[in-house]
Amino acid sequence: MEEEKIIKGYDPVIMRRLLQFTKPYKLPAIIAIIALLIATVAELATPVIMQRAIDHHIMARYYRFAAADNVRSTLEEHGLYDDALEIGDNYYLPETDSEKLPADEKDALIEADQFSRTTWYLTPTREDADLQALINNYPDKIDVRDGYIIMTRADMQALPMEQKTLLRTGDINGIGRSTLLYFLLLAGALLFMFLQVYLIAYTGQEVMRDIRSSLFGHTIRQSLRYLGKTPVGTLVTRITNDVETINEFFTSVATSLLRDFALMGGVVVTLFLLDVRLATITVLSLPPVLLMTLFFRSRARDAYRRVRLWVSNVNAFLSEHISGMEVVQIFGREERSGREFKKKNEELLSANLSEMMVFAVFRPMINLFTSISIGVVLYFGGQMVMQTTVSLGIMIAYVNLIQKFYQPVMDFTEKFTIMQSAMAGGERIFHLIDAKDRIPDEGSGSLPEHVKGRIEFKNVRFAYVQDEPVLQDLSFTIEPGETVAIVGYTGAGKTTIANLLARMWDIQSGSITIDGVDIRSVPLQNLRNVVQPVQQDVFMFAGTIEDNIKLGADIPHRQVRRAAETVQAAPFIEQLPQGYESELKESGANLSTGQRQLLAFSRVVAHDPRILILDEATGSIDTETEQLIQAAIEKLMQGRTAIVIAHRLSTIRNADRILVLNDGQLAESGRHDELLARDGLYATLYRLQYQQQGGKAP
Amino acid sequence: MLKEYKTLLPLVKRYTVFYILGLLALVLTDAGELYIPQLIKQVTNIIAGENFTLQAVGRLVLMMVGVAAAVAFFRFGWRYFIHGASRRIERDLREQVFTHLLSLSSGFYQKMRTGDIMARSSNDMRAIRMASGMALVAFIDGFFLSVAILAILFSQFPRLALITIIPLPFITVIVLLGGKVIGRRFKLVQEGFSRLSEHVQEALTGIRVVKSFVKESWIEKSFHVRNDDNLRRNMQLVRIWGLFFPLITFVSGLSMLFLLYYGGQAVILDDFTPGDFMAFMSYLTMLRWPVMGMGFTINMLQRGAASLQRINEILNEKPDITSKPNAITSRPAGDLKVDRLNFRYQFEGPPLLQEISFEVPRGNTLGILGRTGSGKSTLVRLIPRLLDPPTGSIFIDGHDIRQYLLPQLRAAIGIVPQDSFLFSDTIRGNIAFGNPDATDEQVQRAADISTISRELLSFPHGWNTPVGERGLTLSGGQKQRIAISRAMLIDPELLIFDDALASVDAETEEQILDAFLKTRRGRTNILVAHRVSTLQHADHIIVLDGGRIVQQGSHDQLAQQPGLYRDIYRLQQLTGGGV
Repeated sequence: MEEEKIIKGYDPVIMRRLLQFTKPYKLPAIIAIIALLIATVAELATPVIMQRAIDHHIMARYYRFAAADNVRSTLEEHGLYDDALEIGDNYYLPETDSEKLPADEKDALIEADQFSRTTWYLTPTREDADLQALINNYPDKIDVRDGYIIMTRADMQALPMEQKTLLRTGDINGIGRSTLLYFLLLAGALLFMFLQVYLIAYTGQEVMRDIRSSLFGHTIRQSLRYLGKTPVGTLVTRITNDVETINEFFTSVATSLLRDFALMGGVVVTLFLLDVRLATITVLSLPPVLLMTLFFRSRARDAYRRVRLWVSNVNAFLSEHISGMEVVQIFGREERSGREFKKKNEELLSANLSEMMVFAVFRPMINLFTSISIGVVLYFGGQMVMQTTVSLGIMIAYVNLIQKFYQPVMDFTEKFTIMQSAMAGGERIFHLIDAKDRIPDEGSGSLPEHVKGRIEFKNVRFAYVQDEPVLQDLSFTIEPGETVAIVGYTGAGKTTIANLLARMWDIQSGSITIDGVDIRSVPLQNLRNVVQPVQQDVFMFAGTIEDNIKLGADIPHRQVRRAAETVQAAPFIEQLPQGYESELKESGANLSTGQRQLLAFSRVVAHDPRILILDEATGSIDTETEQLIQAAIEKLMQGRTAIVIAHRLSTIRNADRILVLNDGQLAESGRHDELLARDGLYATLYRLQYQQQGGKAP
Repeated sequence: MLKEYKTLLPLVKRYTVFYILGLLALVLTDAGELYIPQLIKQVTNIIAGENFTLQAVGRLVLMMVGVAAAVAFFRFGWRYFIHGASRRIERDLREQVFTHLLSLSSGFYQKMRTGDIMARSSNDMRAIRMASGMALVAFIDGFFLSVAILAILFSQFPRLALITIIPLPFITVIVLLGGKVIGRRFKLVQEGFSRLSEHVQEALTGIRVVKSFVKESWIEKSFHVRNDDNLRRNMQLVRIWGLFFPLITFVSGLSMLFLLYYGGQAVILDDFTPGDFMAFMSYLTMLRWPVMGMGFTINMLQRGAASLQRINEILNEKPDITSKPNAITSRPAGDLKVDRLNFRYQFEGPPLLQEISFEVPRGNTLGILGRTGSGKSTLVRLIPRLLDPPTGSIFIDGHDIRQYLLPQLRAAIGIVPQDSFLFSDTIRGNIAFGNPDATDEQVQRAADISTISRELLSFPHGWNTPVGERGLTLSGGQKQRIAISRAMLIDPELLIFDDALASVDAETEEQILDAFLKTRRGRTNILVAHRVSTLQHADHIIVLDGGRIVQQGSHDQLAQQPGLYRDIYRLQQLTGGGV
């Protein structure tokens, strides 16, 4: 029993191989990443706009420095001089800049009476009669110099409402401009975010389609050896579900992780740009969060595994018991099955609850950390604002940004789990792609255009599993048009002969020739057009009856009808409401076994192979249908070289020749009567296996 | 919609305590969350104001962290209680469904396919869980938070509140409408995906045909069609889905924008402090979730109702085959009598059996012959009441089988069905299915009768070899023989082989029948077959055609009489070549 790996750590090799599939879609992927960056920048810029508007227009605080050489050099030293307004004997510096001055230098300036903590309000003056009247009203409070109106903030705040409105028209207009900018950023974020999601999804979907196509194409060309030992369900899961986990990874996780990292990185950078000291304090709160995330990640992974395991256990139990409900009821097992289900259901609940617990603890913890970080910023930030080293706007921006920072951390653990299952899926997929097991198709020769159908096996040796030979040194010849029955005990290698002639498997030594041409020297396509095995388990594809006869080949309807008529499938087909256009449901479930057999025969006749290998069905079907099939088989073999792996006595007796296999070698060959007369292996076999078919003779 | 939720009511009641505690914790979480912006506002005002002390800030910050810790605790609390309750309800409902499924008869399983029932018990359960957990949280959370926030905002700044919340109802509408379209397109995506899976499944199951007709490119082409279709459906979903969250961000950004424009002016004009501005901003950010939550709640409740409806379709299905009140509790001994039995599936369906009458005295073996579709399987499934016969038509020991206690009736009857269904259990577990406490000796004996014990050595872990999907793949004949052992082990008063030897070869069939008849001496048997060789062992044979008995008698009698039996017998001699 193979316990399926559902989670795997990050694997760069798998990642690189996955990314290789994205190569044809470089352009949309790059545009998507650019769009992502733009959208992230726009999103990050919105709190900055807020901060700007608060600092410049709403608060509008300036500090005043005396215009002296030592002050000027101090400001220049900190790169602030360019921002300062020199008006009269003073420099006016916005609060956001002032706080960049170290506290001790400020203290020194205060000592020298060149700086004070009084905050000032500055606004450009305008040609406006009302404004002039206002200015004239307060000659001692308002100073107008170099085109600026200058007053302390305290005086400004004390003005009556209408006068304040008049005075601050410029600021109000400034807010209007900020609002417009804010709107543009919002609209930009909307546009680019959509563009990014769309393009990433596009890339992801295209990549998945390519992976699926190459997986499918690869798989159906694998040899039967490989396909036989890998359960169909597993292959289907690889091609569909496993690829889907990778898709999920690309479209939801990879992009949101990219976005999250860009956002978090952006937040950190913005924090540092706004204020280095506050940023340092904030970043210091990260390691514990990181550690906690790591811890919860492993817990979440274990919980997820357990949930997956029990979900599949419960589902398997359920589906099995629904299909086998009648057996449960016949044997009166209802109570016991109910108890078993209850036990499994209970396990599933406990797995679900433990997963729930992980998130019930983790999420609130992250919330708590957000609040603690904000508290820290408020505490130290408040101190700095007081020491005029940080502006209020910056502090508010901080609170805002910290919330943005912690938001993605919330579902990190889930995203990691998805990434891990995508890795596991990727590993399984590449495992499938790397398994190269196909019949080499390198023959460049060709069979004659009109194949006569002479088959020769010469010293053929073959084993499905090494050291367990099925055929040993087998040689025989079949002449064109001959019908040969192959008989032998189960496991004598009868079906193997069919497999080898159509090159479903390759022989280990010896040679198989058709009309003298080695079958390995011709392309598979050429060979299999000539040699047609007909299986005992008849398979129908979803589609119409005609589709199932043609199998996509370019065969006119007339020929399809003639084929169906030849094997007497036509009567039942024509009875169906839509005739040849009738849809077959799930592998022909709406047909009887006999009808499916007849359809399979029509398929062969329509494709008209020169050589036919018929593997007779063992199971019993009702006698009348069996008669119909017998008749069809006879039609089928007319004019063709035919090998029949026989189970029916009538087929054997009608054959031109019987080959008796034993231990992978030809034991006897000849006609029915001859072989019976010889009283060897065939005679024994006949008495044991075939004679009883009709029951005791009266 | 509400009437579908009736099914959940008793389950919800069972976890009332969970819900009460959970909702309490949820409300406390919300209250705490609402309080934090107030504290931030106070801190901001202190910092912006002139009488700043570090101590005052420190005290408020400590308080904030304290409240945050309490919020974290309560947040854990509501997750624990409400998610816990919804998970438990999911478990209970699943169990209820399964228990109910155990009581339903084959009539129901013919109407509803396994895949369908499976989908109902996985996808629909999920939707119901969401409705009973998250929907409630989102609703209470949304309701409480939005009412509280709106109350705070309106009481303090009515004009600004009125302006800034204008965009918010649009979020609810976007979520509601978008959710519907997304749900619809998502369903299309799932359909496309399962079509793709089906195609892969089919191609790989039929790979031999594909290879022998060299049709790899043909099957690949039809794969591409489905693959492209799957892609197209996904992109249709993305077109809406990709717009969904950015649009919500945009609309909620608009309220921020109104705040900046109108609130900013208000601060300038002093009827608004910077702290108010901050708090207002926090509240607006917080309002974004509840208004989204409103939309989600409605979607979840609707989906939950649709899913519950599908679950109710199973639960409302009345078990139609049950014991009568005052049923006979003794175990029937095996004198079978069928008296003018007529049967059809539905009232208006075609009659499947008409005027069937025969008797099988205890210890006798009855043979039934008939073509495919002649009603053989229907007839034998009526005896253990897998299908329900009309009153007064089938009797065992002189009592109508409908009078017996159902478990007693079925305990006395064993069936080897046509399709030998085995469970993913060990071989031993499958043989001892009807009596898990059987001794090794009993298992061995049952295995000997069916000749499956011949293969014991080839099973890697002997009788404990697991079979089925995750174990050994058995051949049809092996399965059939294990199914025979399974029925032999319980040694029932009446044993029915429903064409149970079709997959074994003639020689093995002979061996099985020999052992079978020896063991079953003195008990009643029914053999359904279309090989005359099997039927020769029966004391009495009935021949069914088109739901009627067309002939009956012993083998020797029937072999002489002109009719279906002799025709089939001759055909089989001919094709089998009786020497």
